Amino acid sequence: MKKKRFNPITDRSSEIITFLMASPDMPDDADLRFKIELSIEEAVENVVRYAYEGGIGWLEAGTDLDDKSLILTIELRDAGKPFNPLEEADPDITLSANERPVGGLGIYLCKQMMDSITYRYEDGNNVLIMKKLVSPERA
Amino acid sequence: MNITINKQGGKTLVVLDGRIDSSNSDRFQKDMAPLMEGDSPDIDIDCGGMTYTSSQGLRIFLLLQKSVMARKGKLVMRNMNSHVKEVFDITGFSNIITII
Repeated sequence: MKKKRFNPITDRSSEIITFLMASPDMPDDADLRFKIELSIEEAVENVVRYAYEGGIGWLEAGTDLDDKSLILTIELRDAGKPFNPLEEADPDITLSANERPVGGLGIYLCKQMMDSITYRYEDGNNVLIMKKLVSPERA
Repeated sequence: MNITINKQGGKTLVVLDGRIDSSNSDRFQKDMAPLMEGDSPDIDIDCGGMTYTSSQGLRIFLLLQKSVMARKGKLVMRNMNSHVKEVFDITGFSNIITII
């Protein structure tokens, strides 16, 4: 895994996203890159904005590609308050504009854009792992 | 991101160019704020040059739509590229905002 620890992370979302998107593990396909970047932005923003409740903290971001270059893995790790984003309820996308609450779409977008997302709390760290099939056949 | 706003008749024409993400969504919201009040609520947004939006952009489009509806106006978004359109489809925004 090619990874880097950002510390502190306040106002550094763009830098963290740029680091991940510049990884040689990333596919060239524009549609895949759009979906991956969007998922990364939503997940990174969640950590930068909420994990340390305004305090100072770090985020470790990494990418990996399996031996067959089929599956891209993105891993985010932080030591903020324990938070499992997968436990958040999905938004009701059938509501009218007036009924729709503002916000709460970030994690939902990750779930829709990625092929799998797993979360674990390990050694005092939140660990979020997102996977996407990036084989040329798929693109 | 580049935002151009013009008044034409009773309508506000907006041209969006570039990306809406967490780095510029605060500025985008500030630029859109004047469009969320006043007595000419009809807004036409040309998204032809908009290459990306995250949930930060979506929340501002929803605020815009709510304010337009409250004033009995109409919000239209046009020329959306396929990536951005997919974000609107997945979140159900295609059903609550007129996209042509």
